[in-house]
Amino acid sequence: MAAVRQTVEHVESLERYKHGFVTEIAQEFAPKGLNADVIRFISGKKGEPEWMLAWRLEAFERWQAMEEPGWARVSFPRIDYQAAYYYAAPKQKAGPKSLDEVDPEILETYKKLGIPLREQEVLAGVEGAPRYAVDAVFDSVSVVTTFREELAKAGVIFCPMSEAIREHPELVKTYLGSVVPVSDNYFACLNSAVFSDGSFVYVPPGVRCPMELSTYFRINAENSGQFERTLIIADRGAYVSYLEGCTAPMRDENQLHAAVVELVALEDAEIKYSTVQNWYPGDPETGKGGIYNFVTKRADCRGDRSKVAWTQVETGSAITWKYPSCILRGNDSAGEFYSIAITNGRQQADTGTKMIHLGSGTRSRIISKGISAGKSSNTYRGLVSAHPKAKGARNFTQCDSLLIGKHCAAHTVPYVEARNGQVVLEHEATTTRLSDDQLFYVMQRGLSQEEAVQLLVNGFVKDVLQELPMEFAVEAQKLVAISLEGSVG
Amino acid sequence: MSLAAAIRDRDPAALPSRRDEVWRWTDLRGLIREVPPPSARMDPRDLGPGVFDHLATSSYVVANGLEPVRIEISAGERTIVALRFVSRGQGAHAALAEIRLGEGARLRLLETYEGEGAYLADASLSITLSPGAVVERIVLADDDPEAVSVSHANVKLAAGSEFGQIVLTSGARRQRIETRVVHPDGGAKLRLDGVYLLEGKRHADLTTVVEHQGLDGVTMQMTKGVVRDQARGVFQGRIVVAEGADRTDARMEHHALIVGDRGEVDAKPELEIYADDVACSHGNTIGALDQEALFYARQRGIPEPEARALLTEAFIGEVVDRVWFEGAREIVRRWAAQRLRGA
Repeated sequence: MAAVRQTVEHVESLERYKHGFVTEIAQEFAPKGLNADVIRFISGKKGEPEWMLAWRLEAFERWQAMEEPGWARVSFPRIDYQAAYYYAAPKQKAGPKSLDEVDPEILETYKKLGIPLREQEVLAGVEGAPRYAVDAVFDSVSVVTTFREELAKAGVIFCPMSEAIREHPELVKTYLGSVVPVSDNYFACLNSAVFSDGSFVYVPPGVRCPMELSTYFRINAENSGQFERTLIIADRGAYVSYLEGCTAPMRDENQLHAAVVELVALEDAEIKYSTVQNWYPGDPETGKGGIYNFVTKRADCRGDRSKVAWTQVETGSAITWKYPSCILRGNDSAGEFYSIAITNGRQQADTGTKMIHLGSGTRSRIISKGISAGKSSNTYRGLVSAHPKAKGARNFTQCDSLLIGKHCAAHTVPYVEARNGQVVLEHEATTTRLSDDQLFYVMQRGLSQEEAVQLLVNGFVKDVLQELPMEFAVEAQKLVAISLEGSVG
Repeated sequence: MSLAAAIRDRDPAALPSRRDEVWRWTDLRGLIREVPPPSARMDPRDLGPGVFDHLATSSYVVANGLEPVRIEISAGERTIVALRFVSRGQGAHAALAEIRLGEGARLRLLETYEGEGAYLADASLSITLSPGAVVERIVLADDDPEAVSVSHANVKLAAGSEFGQIVLTSGARRQRIETRVVHPDGGAKLRLDGVYLLEGKRHADLTTVVEHQGLDGVTMQMTKGVVRDQARGVFQGRIVVAEGADRTDARMEHHALIVGDRGEVDAKPELEIYADDVACSHGNTIGALDQEALFYARQRGIPEPEARALLTEAFIGEVVDRVWFEGAREIVRRWAAQRLRGA
């Protein structure tokens, strides 16, 4: 019996969500609720020019006239937009010059999360180890951006959005809102009004960004929402790979994360955007708490022969509702979407992509792997559309769903529209559970049931994992295993 | 929102529009500004024989929506019924048909839609099967290119029953043929096939919704279409497997060919699964004729138009071959060949 008790205690002590801690630091908030004054407050805090404030206020006005959409296969109680804080920032001196000026608590937080913020620490690592520049966003502000000087030598601009608005207004004015217009949808419009920070990347013509860029988003403050805005521009013939990671503390109330990500690829440019989303998913038993992840991500392949690849591993969030999309405007441009969406406990995910083929010879590829366990629900929703001028457009879509357990749900809702006769659009989807035969075979080789499931699941998602940059792939693989913990038996 | 309600109340606001998600590709409200007055009475005896009449044990005609039809097939009975929905003129009308089968009854239902004129027609069918009953429904829709026509069938299966269906249509100005099947008890078998062959500015929408609530259900679905000129084909298939409907096996396929440059095909093959012990899949392809197959045929000395006709007929033939009733299968095959060669 002692052994049984020990096992039970051991299992209970296992951390299901190891990023769920809270950092105790002095923070500064905007007044609770949402009105024009709060928007002026945010804009003022950021020291923004007049045109930016006008842009925000116009968005706010439009947002007030909009209705919250309800078409996704997710259900949640009505969000009270007046009960949240729209700006929360750690108290610190204006614009820390070096890491030494950043609150040590914050540095400690990122250390705990395993995010390297000290360049020398990264450099001191094993020679030849991958290096990447990080923009760390803590609630509403970017606390630090690493490797900026080295990037600047190559001509790459990598800085917080708020800084870009001040330093590079001509680029921001040209591109901000050009992919996701202000009133594109309810949550994007809200973001346009209240966005606080995010990353800005500009890669000049012909430059291959010398290292991976990444942003790490952390929600810390209670009752606050995070509304970041990311804008990445790859000029002619440029290449950039960008990684995004996110976590939040465990809290009983839901928090809203409504980000907007805009990518612009000009002629011959290529952008690779990878996300490992690990927001707090809520309590697996009661479904209490967790992040509402309502994000608008869109790429505009504006130039001929441009290419954008989205890769996402979605394991967290109480509710995920997002569709990273590609507008294939340039001739012979290409879009790719690789996704793993895992739901467990009472999580809900309605995610997928849109590939809009406008130019001739455009190509797109969609590989989506959904895994539902526990009492969760997982929906793939996608659109592939070839317009009359998209002669020779080509799409291949594969959506596979895996069900683990009797009470979960998996749905596939693909929309396919072909508006000219010179296209080839292919779609295939399957929904099954883990094969008993395969499980038996693996367990017979001496693996426990949980290990066997992990192995088979990793095989199931392999197509997507191999699209991730190396250091992310390892993390993602571990995450897949953790997310499914407790789903078998 | 339904065409039947709009016809009954002469209210265009009751028409489904593109804002209704399941009608987004078959917008009626944007097309019809005013619901026309009711269609004139028509004597079914003035009509010639239907294409399937010689095969049928009994024939029913619903002319301009008049006289609802009720058909009862008693337990163990085997019969072949021809059911014709005929529309003439510029008016609006709604038709009703109800079919019930007793235990172990077998029915071959040969259904046609025939029309002339710019009418607005709605047909509503309900088919209820008792345990062990078998139905094969063959639908041939030849509506007028100026007509707007919607047909919807609600099919209720029972334990161990079987339902096989093929819908063949040449479309209309706007047309939708919808089939909803519920499978509440264990062990029902279902085949839901479709063929659309569209030209000019015709439009056809084949929509199916299958709900598996019982154990061991099997659904096999194959729809194929050929779209020419500026025609538009729509396929919406949805398979729902409810919690507890274990060992369901559902397969859905939709393949479409667009001939020429200006055709359009829209598809939404949906799976909605709440049970884990299932095997469900769907496949969907839209494109032009395979150039390699065409090249192969031409290299063997077959002229291009002939090669195209052969390949498209073979493409459609795969669906037609699945019809159980041999006599009807041949009629259907000829109908398809005429449409493919005619263009």
